[in-house]
Amino acid sequence: SGSGVGQNRNAILVSHRQKGNPLLKHIRNVKWVFADIVCDYLLGPSSCALYISLRYHLLHPDYLYYRIRELQKNFKLRVILCHVDLEDVLKPLQEVTKTALLHDCTLLCAWSLEECGRYLETIKVYENKPADIIREQTDTDYMSRLTHALTSIRHINKTDVVTLGSSFGSLSQVMNASMEELARCPGIGEKKVKRLYDTFHEPFKRVL
Amino acid sequence: MLSFQEQIISDLLEDVNGGLVVLSSGLPISPILVSLIPLLPSHLTPLLLSVPDSLLPSLSPLSPLSISFDLPSHQRASLYTSGRPLILSPRILIADLLTSRCLPSSISALFLFNAHRLSDTSTESFIARLLRQTSPHNHLVPIFAFSDSPHGMVSGFAKAERLMKCLYVKRLHLWPRFHVLVSSDLETDPPEVVDIRIPMSPAMKGIQVAILEAMDACLKELRRTNKVDVEDLTVEKGLFKSFDEIVRRQLDPIWHTLGKKTKQLVSDLRTLRKLLDYLIRYDAVTYLKYLDTLRVSEGVRSMWIFANSSHKIFELAKRRVYQVVRADGSKVGLDNKATPTKKRRVTSDNKKGKEIASSSNKEIGGIVLEEVLEEPPKWKVLRELLEEIEEERSKGTKVMEEIMPREDPDSTDIVLVTCKDERSCLQLEDCILKGPQQAMRGEWEKYLLGKIELQSVFKRSKTKPKEPKGFGVIDGGIVTKKVPNESTEPNTINILENKALLAAASKISKSTIKEVETEIEATEISKPKKGRGKGKYKKNPVPDCNPQSSGVQIEEPQGQSHDLFTGASASSVVQIEEKSHSESHKSTSGGLANAKPLPPVQFYALDRDRRILEEWKPSVVIVYHPDMTFVREIEIYKAENPNRKLKVYFLFYEDSTEVQKFDASICRENSAFESLIRQKSLMMIPVDQNGRCLGPATQSTEPDSVLSNSMTRKAGGRKPLEKEVQVIVDMREFMSSLPNVLHLKGMKVIPVTLEVGDYILSPLICVERKSIGDLYQSFASGRLYHQVETMVRYYKIPVLLIEFSQDKSFSFQSASEIGDDVSPTNIISKLSLLVMHFPRLRLVWSRSLHATADIFLSLKSNQDEPDENKAMRVGVPSEDGVIENDVRAENYNTSAIEFLRRLPGVTDSNYRALMDCCNNLAELALLPVEKLAELMGSQKAARTLKEFLDAKCPTMV
Repeated sequence: SGSGVGQNRNAILVSHRQKGNPLLKHIRNVKWVFADIVCDYLLGPSSCALYISLRYHLLHPDYLYYRIRELQKNFKLRVILCHVDLEDVLKPLQEVTKTALLHDCTLLCAWSLEECGRYLETIKVYENKPADIIREQTDTDYMSRLTHALTSIRHINKTDVVTLGSSFGSLSQVMNASMEELARCPGIGEKKVKRLYDTFHEPFKRVL
Repeated sequence: MLSFQEQIISDLLEDVNGGLVVLSSGLPISPILVSLIPLLPSHLTPLLLSVPDSLLPSLSPLSPLSISFDLPSHQRASLYTSGRPLILSPRILIADLLTSRCLPSSISALFLFNAHRLSDTSTESFIARLLRQTSPHNHLVPIFAFSDSPHGMVSGFAKAERLMKCLYVKRLHLWPRFHVLVSSDLETDPPEVVDIRIPMSPAMKGIQVAILEAMDACLKELRRTNKVDVEDLTVEKGLFKSFDEIVRRQLDPIWHTLGKKTKQLVSDLRTLRKLLDYLIRYDAVTYLKYLDTLRVSEGVRSMWIFANSSHKIFELAKRRVYQVVRADGSKVGLDNKATPTKKRRVTSDNKKGKEIASSSNKEIGGIVLEEVLEEPPKWKVLRELLEEIEEERSKGTKVMEEIMPREDPDSTDIVLVTCKDERSCLQLEDCILKGPQQAMRGEWEKYLLGKIELQSVFKRSKTKPKEPKGFGVIDGGIVTKKVPNESTEPNTINILENKALLAAASKISKSTIKEVETEIEATEISKPKKGRGKGKYKKNPVPDCNPQSSGVQIEEPQGQSHDLFTGASASSVVQIEEKSHSESHKSTSGGLANAKPLPPVQFYALDRDRRILEEWKPSVVIVYHPDMTFVREIEIYKAENPNRKLKVYFLFYEDSTEVQKFDASICRENSAFESLIRQKSLMMIPVDQNGRCLGPATQSTEPDSVLSNSMTRKAGGRKPLEKEVQVIVDMREFMSSLPNVLHLKGMKVIPVTLEVGDYILSPLICVERKSIGDLYQSFASGRLYHQVETMVRYYKIPVLLIEFSQDKSFSFQSASEIGDDVSPTNIISKLSLLVMHFPRLRLVWSRSLHATADIFLSLKSNQDEPDENKAMRVGVPSEDGVIENDVRAENYNTSAIEFLRRLPGVTDSNYRALMDCCNNLAELALLPVEKLAELMGSQKAARTLKEFLDAKCPTMV
């Protein structure tokens, strides 16, 4: 398997076993080439994927287990890409889930070949991408920061944020507003008033 | 106690299983409880689950005790045997039942409220099942469930029957308003009712028509998506909140596959319904302000804002407040309505032509603002009504006293005016106190001052190169001013209008500075007399200080409008202020010559949810915002106090959606009852030979049984599996239904508070469970990343469970919605990144709650049972000195902590210090920057936080 890796660092290596899989049509954003590899798709130096369709699993319940066993422990990320192509998924999906979980594989479900292809593409494209987009974001401008903070209180929506901001002038004034002042704001009903007021005035730690 | 209520109680006591009572909205539940509970065995404890706030005060004769998680568990345990009625949440009860802190043998009965919100998977059903399974044979805990929302009881197939099975009750008691006993109780001596229909102003009518048009357009658009059933989607149904439910129920299965446009349409319909509602509830200025806010907050996204009719809404709403008039007297920008156009593009073309015309003699000085300040028509009627009542009274008193001297010593002279919300109350009070013009003027001045503030913010932000996000959409006016060269023609009017508004505003702000002192004085004096916190009550007749009642025309001649906010009129404001707070009853100036005395008035907001009638004992009630539930309350009050005289006035806007909504709400309730009566006649509730309900599990007709495997039937609730299988569940998860279903499948559920994960299946397996909505949300907030990070740190097999909902589709998106490129916003990208960064994370995809339970069982085979004490300690910061059974979520103001952590400058490392050193957020907001720096350990972070807290908020329009 080593020969192909050096030349095609930016390509997904595809096992010859996958020849004829219609999924290959949907890998468009990344180059892919056939190679002599143990896994179905080699997505990076330490990540690989096996493809299984639930329909196929019903016919060959042992197939997945044997494929996983072949992989040995060479990879950090071992994806089982499961194409959900059945209506009645409960039993087969449960089996696939258990097999993947007990043999250190990460199960990704996709409901169409397009989606299968996209998972493969994405893992390749994001090979060196930091996790910033799924980590807590650092805010940008004042209004979105204000919205971010105030909407953490249940039932408060964006319109309320504008209303509160413009009625009280600043966040610290909103935080120190009385129930009655809050109730005077259009669109802020009794429930919201109470939620706001409690959030700001109830102590952080409730004392017994 | 009324005779129908006595009947309810004797019916309920007939069956050992308890029963489900459905009453018409507004018929009170508390008298039933107060009389029923003392009839139960007194050495046992009655439990009341999630008692609605409105019910609490009237339960005081029972002297119930509220239990919360704050209470140490051993104290809770002793209370369960105290015999005293206990009020608690289902989460506490289920935890205490599972841990045997509460034993069924010590409970006399279980009371459930808002039964229409329950289902077979809710915690209440779990409790009912547990009570049946664990209670001794000679003791059956009856369950009494109540609902005053018949309409909620008929949504979904055979809901009442399924619910009764889960609650193990076999009797359904229906008490509609049209029940013979109820109506004979309420109609023997009904209150005197006067129905007053008030025409809306032409502009209001126009807006109403326009909103309905916009709704219709949205509905048509929604139909075009072919994703919803057309029949249910009518404008009439659109008036009700439940409309959202209908739409959501249809769209939920495919919600995550819907395009932005469809989702926006659904939310637009909600916005439009609010606009209809507020049209009747808010005054013209507040309404305009709300519209402005809406435009700022959702301008770019909403579809309806671009619809033709929405232009009309904005235009008319503005015209109720002010007009822009050219110096020569001709009106500007008014003929839009006269030339209705079909498409938006055409409208703007049209506008362009006009704008060109107007720009030919464009001179900003030539534009003046003419204020209209249309009063809500109900104001005038309310005032006249009050005057009339007082007049009648003063005439009548003498005669009355002679005929029947002490007829009803209990009732007072108070006239009770009920509105829907607090806001309207405060405003009506203002209006009665200061006169309608003054009240309108007050709102108008606030509105204009808002403009000034925006202006100053704009000036400050000018130096910044980048324009703050929220500004782009503000009526075009601001943006154009910033870059005047780029100004496009359609904005010319806006510039002029904005300038005129600002000019008027600056005049006001100058005069108000002078007033400030007087105003402060005024508010200080008026505060104490408000008393009683929420309810405002004035014993003395409200002084009439309305010198302008005849002096000021609603429509000013143009010449004068210019000077409206000059010193002259401002000083008259001051005069009125002074008069009102000195409570002078005498008219000092000529303006009061035609004022008439008013009776004592009490305003009350219905959303306060209190039993106001018994509190104030009014002799006259004016229903300012008609509401079916309150009407029933009036009827009950009258029936309970047959000796008191009671006259009720209804104020309706004629031909308004208000009338429509009121009538429809009665029809809706009646038809719900009719349906329930039908259902009741066909109902089959299985019981054993002792008359005990068997519950839902044995029912083969259960729709779920198709899905459940043999395991369900074996478990059936009654026979646990051979070897007891345990799952440790985080206390917070009892808000969801999974613990219930796990128990149903025969697993032992151990409730504890977990710092890491939601479910611990074995010493190795820790599961974080996400419903689809949660998954999207926690990806967006970054919370999921954090949760997975800690799970990976502490457990060998960390699992992310992605749980789909049974009645929604089992997929994220359709193939066509995946798009051509790898996009960072797509869920595929987020999930890929997550698994790439945490290669040890295992994903479990579950079709439904029930599937999850099966997966848990299968994952647990060959694994050791989890250790609850170990699980609890995982991830808990050691410096906290955590005590056993400490329930964090209940001991912390989680909402405040979440808020705190979202403030700029606050980080993982400094938020604890902030929490330790100030009591609450309000206090934190006032801390000086030096103190903050000390707590946060950083000057920079402290400054960031302080600046954010005190930053001037950009005001809209």
